[in-house]
Amino acid sequence: MAAIENTSAAKPAATRPNWLVRDLVGLAVILAVAAIGYFLFPNNLALLTRILGVALLVLSIDLVTGFCGVATLGHAALFGAGAYASGIAAVHFGITDPLLMVVVGAIGGALAGIVSGAVILRGHGLAQLVLSIAVVHLFHEAANKASAYTGGSDGLSGISPDPIFGMFAFDLWGRTAYGFAVALVAIAFVVLRLITRSPFGMLCRGIKEDPIRIRAMGASVQGTLLKMYVISGAVAGVGGALNAISTQVVGLDSLSFTLSAEALVMLVLGGTGSLYGALIGTVSFMWFEDFVSAANPFHWLTIVGALLIAVVLFAPRGLYGSAQTLLDRFRGDGK
Amino acid sequence: MKKSVLAALAVLALSSAAFADTIKVGVVGPFSGPFAIQGKNFKAGIDAYMALNGSKVGDNDIEIVYRDLPAADPAQSKALAQELVVKEGVQYLAGFYFTPDAMAVTPLLEQANVPLVVMNAATSAIVTKSPLVVRTSFTTWQTSAPMAKVAKERGVKKVITVVSDYGPGIDSENAFKTTFTAEGGEVVDSVRMPLSTNDFSPIMQRVKDSGADAVFAFLPSGPTTLGFVKAYNENGLAKAGVQFLAPGDLTQESDLPALGQAAEGLLTTFHYAVSHDSAENKKFVEAAHKAIGNPAELSFPSVGAYDGMHVIYKMIEATGGKQDAQKAVDAVKGLAWESPRGPVSIDPETRHMTQNIYLREVAKAADGTYYNKEIATFEKQGDPGLAAAK
Amino acid sequence: MQTVFSVGIDALAYGMVLFVISIGLSVTMGLMRVVNLAHGAFAMIGGYIASYATQTLGFGYGVAILVAVVGTIIIAIPVERFLYRRIYGAPELTQVLMTIGITFCVIGIANYVFGPTLKTIPLPEALRGPVDLGFRSIAAHKLFAIACGVAVAGALWFLIEKTSFGVKLRASVDNAAMAASLGVRTKIVYAVSFAVAVGLAAFGGIVGAELLPIEPYYALRYMVTFLVVVSVGGAGSIPGALLACLLLGAIDTSGRYLLPEYGEFFFYLAVIAIVCVFPRGLLGRSK
Repeated sequence: MAAIENTSAAKPAATRPNWLVRDLVGLAVILAVAAIGYFLFPNNLALLTRILGVALLVLSIDLVTGFCGVATLGHAALFGAGAYASGIAAVHFGITDPLLMVVVGAIGGALAGIVSGAVILRGHGLAQLVLSIAVVHLFHEAANKASAYTGGSDGLSGISPDPIFGMFAFDLWGRTAYGFAVALVAIAFVVLRLITRSPFGMLCRGIKEDPIRIRAMGASVQGTLLKMYVISGAVAGVGGALNAISTQVVGLDSLSFTLSAEALVMLVLGGTGSLYGALIGTVSFMWFEDFVSAANPFHWLTIVGALLIAVVLFAPRGLYGSAQTLLDRFRGDGK
Repeated sequence: MKKSVLAALAVLALSSAAFADTIKVGVVGPFSGPFAIQGKNFKAGIDAYMALNGSKVGDNDIEIVYRDLPAADPAQSKALAQELVVKEGVQYLAGFYFTPDAMAVTPLLEQANVPLVVMNAATSAIVTKSPLVVRTSFTTWQTSAPMAKVAKERGVKKVITVVSDYGPGIDSENAFKTTFTAEGGEVVDSVRMPLSTNDFSPIMQRVKDSGADAVFAFLPSGPTTLGFVKAYNENGLAKAGVQFLAPGDLTQESDLPALGQAAEGLLTTFHYAVSHDSAENKKFVEAAHKAIGNPAELSFPSVGAYDGMHVIYKMIEATGGKQDAQKAVDAVKGLAWESPRGPVSIDPETRHMTQNIYLREVAKAADGTYYNKEIATFEKQGDPGLAAAK
Repeated sequence: MQTVFSVGIDALAYGMVLFVISIGLSVTMGLMRVVNLAHGAFAMIGGYIASYATQTLGFGYGVAILVAVVGTIIIAIPVERFLYRRIYGAPELTQVLMTIGITFCVIGIANYVFGPTLKTIPLPEALRGPVDLGFRSIAAHKLFAIACGVAVAGALWFLIEKTSFGVKLRASVDNAAMAASLGVRTKIVYAVSFAVAVGLAAFGGIVGAELLPIEPYYALRYMVTFLVVVSVGGAGSIPGALLACLLLGAIDTSGRYLLPEYGEFFFYLAVIAIVCVFPRGLLGRSK
C-alpha cells in the first residue's frame, strides 16, 4: 500500500505538467466509458444512473477512508441526508429546479458531514467503526420519526424535478437523468482530483500515514479531517440528490447501514486511496450484482459472495490497486 | 457509433413488433434476502395460476420476467421497473412487496403505458398515486379495523396497542384505534417499538402494567413475531387472561410451524387463510404446494399473486394483447370473481380489492400441525384507510 | 420496586444471551485481530445443525448442542485453512471484504438448502414454560442462558489466563515471529483458537435461538449488534465483554420499557457516549 502511494505522491512534484495530462486523460476515459455505456446499454440507463449515484457515495467514502484512513460503516448518513434535503426541498418548499436541488443536497450532505465527522473522529480503529454505525442508525431513526417531512418508512414520494435548464425533461428512458449524472460525476471527479493533489490533500495523506508527526509539524489533525469530512459530505450529498432527482422517491434505505456497508465493500473491491479505484469498484460490483441477480433472482447472493472472496484471494489490493501493481511490475519501475 | 444507435433502434422496433405473440409480465419482489419467503410465495402463486389456467391468453404466450428486490429500496425498484419496461419490453408490471418500492414505480406508468398490479404492498395511498395501479392484496387498514369490532363483541373494554414503529405498524395502530374508539372502547396506551427489537419482555411488562384486557399487536411477518408471541406466553400474559389480537401478518402460515404451541388460541383478522374451505381454494392450494416445493412455506402473498395474475389475464383478454394500459385497467374495474380467499371484486373507484375479512383462531389440526381456523366472516370489506386519510 | 426488579431480570437475561453469542467474536477480533463479520454466519450454521438434529434426527437437546458445536467446527476447519489463513494480519478492510463474502455465501447456501422459513430448536421439557420467581415468572430457558453465560465466561477466562495454551495464544498475538522462534507453533495456536471461537458462536446461536430465531438472514441481521457489543467491551477482553453485555442489555431493556418509541436512540446514544469515554472499550487492553 505504502509503496504505491509513495510513487504517486512523489511523481507530481518531480514532473509537474505530467499530472495535468494524466488527469485530462482520466477524465476523457471516464467520459468515453460513459458514452460507451450509453450506446451499449441504451435500455439500461436507469441502472447506469443508479450506479453513478452510488459512485459519488463511494468516492466520498474514499476521501475519508482511502485518503485519511478513517474507517466508516456509516457513510450513507451523508448520502441520505443529501437525498432527503433535496427531496424535502422539492416536496415541501417547491424547489424543483434540479440544479438547485443538487446544491441543497450538497449542503445537506455537508452539514451531515460536520455532525457525523464530529462524532466519528473522536475514535480510532474499531471504536471509530462502531461510532459510525451508531451515527447511521441515529440518522435512520430520526428520518423514520420525522415522518411528517420524510414520509417515514413509506418513503418520500411526489418529487417532480423541472426539466434541466427548462429544456431537458426527465423521461422514461432516463436519458436526461443519465446525462445529468455523468456531468455530475465528471465535475466531482475533476474537483476531487484537484483537492487530493492540493497541499490540503497531501496533508490528509500525511495524517493517514502518521498523525503524530503531522501534529508535531503544527497542523491540526482533527480540524483537517473534519474539513475533509465536510467535503466528503458534500460529494455524498450530491450523490443523494442525484438519486432523489432521478428516482423521484427517497426511501429510508438511503440512510441505512446496509447501503453504508455495501458502498464500503465496493470501495475496497476497487481499491482504496485512488479515485479510479472507487469508480471501478462501484461499476464492477453493481454491474455484476445486476447481472447475476437478473440471471438467477433467487440464489445470486452466493455468487456475489464468491466474487468478494476471489478478489481478496487474487487481487488483495482491490481491482485497481492490484492491476496497477501488476502494471508497475511489468514496466519494471514498481519499486 | 451511429451504426450502433441504428442497431439499437432496430432492435427496439423489432421487439415491439414481436409483442403480438409473447406478452411479458415483469414481476418485482423480494426473492432473496430477509424476505425471500414472501418472494417465493409470489412465484408460487403465479406458477399455480399458470398451471391451472395455461400460459396462453388467446394466441398470446405469457412470459414472466422476475427481478429481485431484497428489501425496500425505491431507487433500485425504479431502475428495475425501467429496465423491465424499456429493455425487456414488458406490458405489465406486477409484484411489489414493500410500499416505497411500489410508490417509486407509479410515476413511470403513464409514460410507459403499463399497468401496475400490486400483489402485496399494503399502504392505502398507493392506488391514489396513479390511475394505472390495481391492487389484489389487502391494506393494513382493511385487515386491522375488523379486529376492533371483534374486541368489542367479545366484551373487551380496555386495549393496549403495540406496533412496530414503521408505516404499516402505524397504519395498523390508527385503524384499530379509530374503529375501537368509535365502537365505544378505550385504548389505554399505545406503544411503538423499533423494528429491530429482539427482546420483548420489557414490552410485555408495559402491557401488564397498563391493566388492559387485551393487547392489539402488529409486527411484520417473519422472525420477530416468534419472539413476540413467545414473550407474550412466557411473561404470563396468556395465563393472566390478557387477550391477544392482531392482523394475520403475525400468524402467517409459514411462521406457524416455528410458533407452534405458543400461538395456539391467538385471534387474528386477515383476508386469507391457507385453510379456507372452498373448492376454489383446494384447487389453488394443491397447485401452489406443487409450485413452492415445501408446503409449509405457503403463505398469504401467494394468493395476492394468484389473483394478480387473474387480473392480468383479464386485462390481456380485454385488450387482445395490444398495449393499452388505460383500456386494460378500465376492463377490470368492477371485475368480480371467486378467489381462493372467497368472493372478491375490484372497486371501480379505488382499484383496490373489496373482499371478506375473516376472524381466525390458531388451532391444532389432527396431524399435530397448527393452522389458522376461520371462525367468523366480515363480508365485502372495502378499504377504510383511504377515507381516513382524507 | 417490583417493576424495577422485573425489568432488571429481563435486562440480565438479555445481556447474558448477547454475551454467549458475541463472546466468540471477541476472541477472533481481540486475540486474533480478525474483523470477523462472518461470526453470525457460524452461529447460524450451529443453529441449523441443532435444529436438524432435533427435528429430523430426533436427538435430545444436549446431544444436539454437542453435535452442532462439533459440526460447525468441522465445517469451519477448511474455511480457516483456505480462507482465514490468508487474511491474518491483512488490513482490516480486506478482512471485512473476505468475511462479508463468506457471509453472503453462507446465507445463499442456507436459503437454498433449508429454505427461507424460521427454524426452531425444541427445548427439553425442563426448559420449557415459565418459572415462578415469586414476584414474577420468567422463561426457564432464560435462566438456562444466564447459567450458560456464567459458565462460558468462567471457562474462557480460565483457558486464556491460566493454561499454557492461553500463554501461547497471547504470545502469538503480541508477536507472532518472536513466539514462533521460541517454539510456539503459531499456525496451530491460531487454528485452535479459531475453532474455539467458532464453537462458541455455534453454542451461542443455539442458546440464543429463542430470542434470535434461526433463518437464513440471521448471519447479517444481528451482525451489527455483535460488533457493537464486542467493541464496547473492548475486543479480546472477556470481563469487558461481559460488562458491556450487561450494561447494554440494561440500557436497551430499560429504554424499551420506559420509552419504547425512542429505544433505538437510547441504545446508540449510549454506545456513542461509552465509546467516546472509553475509546478502547470498557476493559480493552491498551497496546
